[in-house]
Amino acid sequence: MTDLSRRGLLKAAAALAGGGLLVGCAPGASRKTTDLSYWHLLTGGDGTVMAGLVDAVNAANLGFHATQTVLAWGAPYYTKLAMASAGGRAPDVAIMHASRIAGYAPGGLLEPWDLDLLAEVGLHESDFPARVWEKCQYDGKLYAIALDTHPFVLYYNTEHAEKAGVTDALHAMKSPDEFTEIATKLQKVTGKHGLSYGYLGDGAQMWRLWYTLYKQTGADMKLVPGQPAEVDKDAAVKTLTFVQSLLNDTIASRSGDGGTATSEFLHGQSGMFLGGVWELPVLKDAKMPVDALPIPTLFGTQAAYADSHTFVLPRQSKVSPERRKHVYTMVAEILKRSVKWAGGGHIPAYQPVAKSAEYQALKPQSNYAGIPASVNYDPDVWFSGAGSDFQNYFAENVQNVFLGSGDPAAGFDGFVARLNKLLDRPQPV
Amino acid sequence: MSTAIDTPAATAEKVTAQGKARAKRGETLTGWAFAAPFAVLFVLFLVVPALYGLYLSFTGETLTGAGSGLVGLANYGDALRDPDMWKSLGNTLWFTVLSTIPLVVLSLALALLVNLGLPGRWLWRLSFFLPYLLASTVVVMFWSWMYNPTLGLINGVLAKFGAAPVAWLQDPKVAMLSVVITTLWWTIGFNFLLYLAALQNIPEQQFEAAAIDGAGKWRQLFSIVIPQLTPTTALILTLQILASLKVFDQIYMLTNGGPAGKTRSIVQYIYESGFTGYRFGYSSAISYLFFVLIVLVALAQYKLINRRSAA
Repeated sequence: MTDLSRRGLLKAAAALAGGGLLVGCAPGASRKTTDLSYWHLLTGGDGTVMAGLVDAVNAANLGFHATQTVLAWGAPYYTKLAMASAGGRAPDVAIMHASRIAGYAPGGLLEPWDLDLLAEVGLHESDFPARVWEKCQYDGKLYAIALDTHPFVLYYNTEHAEKAGVTDALHAMKSPDEFTEIATKLQKVTGKHGLSYGYLGDGAQMWRLWYTLYKQTGADMKLVPGQPAEVDKDAAVKTLTFVQSLLNDTIASRSGDGGTATSEFLHGQSGMFLGGVWELPVLKDAKMPVDALPIPTLFGTQAAYADSHTFVLPRQSKVSPERRKHVYTMVAEILKRSVKWAGGGHIPAYQPVAKSAEYQALKPQSNYAGIPASVNYDPDVWFSGAGSDFQNYFAENVQNVFLGSGDPAAGFDGFVARLNKLLDRPQPV
Repeated sequence: MSTAIDTPAATAEKVTAQGKARAKRGETLTGWAFAAPFAVLFVLFLVVPALYGLYLSFTGETLTGAGSGLVGLANYGDALRDPDMWKSLGNTLWFTVLSTIPLVVLSLALALLVNLGLPGRWLWRLSFFLPYLLASTVVVMFWSWMYNPTLGLINGVLAKFGAAPVAWLQDPKVAMLSVVITTLWWTIGFNFLLYLAALQNIPEQQFEAAAIDGAGKWRQLFSIVIPQLTPTTALILTLQILASLKVFDQIYMLTNGGPAGKTRSIVQYIYESGFTGYRFGYSSAISYLFFVLIVLVALAQYKLINRRSAA
């Protein structure tokens, strides 16, 4: 379908005249069994690494050629993927955040992976961290193969930390007060801010930090369609109040958005930076003195917000068993090369890679390699997950709280009311 | 028997008439043939989807096809009871009010200024109209930089005067205003050009006659220019209100409807209900409610303009 020749155009015209365009376009009808279509939403540095991995697998001459299609991150990607699957004309394999599986598996938009075929290409349950493997399941079936875990972490400027004399304290802090104290000390060194955190206009960023802290209190958020949301309001208010206290224009900028926060930290105007592991390449390219840690346990329970890029099989109305086999091989080959993927900051899900000497030598990546053991994904419900409206609903209700003008309890109540409205409606998938 | 025997003249007339009819039929066919490509596309991509959408609005259809069948008017009832629907409709109307007034008044003011015969008229015309030619993505790209709370040009200038930084797109109190400013900058060129063209159509003699009668510039403006521009104003007002009601892309990209849903337009709510919330039936129902509203607005305007031109 990519190279449109004159002959192809005429054929298409003829098909249109015969009313056959709609059926004639289904993949599988005309494509070679050795051609794989692969959709993902990885751009920037991640996109370059993924393109390199696909090229490497193609060059290995395993009997197939994968073509990647890169779509815009977030709602545009997930809507297109859902529509392609609903129409049965989906790509052979696609990337999906683990947090979105609950929205796609129940509606029959995904097909489960066959454990026997996986074993044939050398992939087993024991090759993946337990919590990650578990999140890839729905209703007892495996719908996704994780490529990585990408948590929210704490970066710090090693020079500033040394000057402020907080390097050891950074690694050992155990309470919100200690965090504030360290941030204040760092602020005195930088003269501007102690902490950089970009959140304005970005629901995902607000959610990532807050959910990490909320889960650290040991609280849970259980969302079951047809029932009111089960949440712990005290824990929510406590953690929202803490976030609010940090964004006071001294410790951290009240008006920090993604670009501002990164640039501030890069220019040494703050000592700590809260961000996803995917920010690492930019920080390393700037050759700044940076190290990274899991977000310290401030509220008693070790917990981190994270998501995973996973491989899924979107539903096709016509499945070619040969191509399907090639997909298994392709996924296994990419996983085996995923130490390259770890260069972008992500923690490889495939344990032989995660435990390899090559990965352990990557710094600061291996500092946070243990996070998958205490990882927390979004609540399992059809409307949650990366790039979903769920995170927008969170932002709609708490951005004012973060900005300092909203009441944490009222903001959280608003969010829960919105969740309850969605839970009350008939589930569309 | 009074069988009419056609005279040669009558026969000739008849033949010509037949020929004319045949020719006319031929013309009609040709006309249809020329119109067909458009008509087919119009029916295929507008009429059919619109009717299908109407059908969907009575069903519980979802993106995945997992929906229930016919549900009658339930979607409409849901929509009318949905506070988020009303909120986004309110935002849309508020945007329409905030944007339409300056888009009409300012474009007239700009056209009058340019029509004064300033030197370098082509440069003014070009600079007012050029933004209109840009894609919404481009417009949003640089306005979001201008609005950036810490690195943006606007706050940078404000800081020179000692003003505190404003979170243009993130503060619920000013976000809609920021969207309106962007829209104004982007689209005013079109109205401006319509006004300028109309201004240039007013005969010079009228001004000369008025001047001889002792009418000053302001008197000329209110007694000649503005009345002569009435049809143009009516056109601009109609087009502008409809365009503002349908606002989507710049808001979606600038604020994604935030903060706190303060800039979410009804079109965005329709999009979200259908494509990210998966409820096609429900989103079709809202779009039909919105359609009715637009038709009512258009009808009301039509009546108003007709009454004015009749008076």
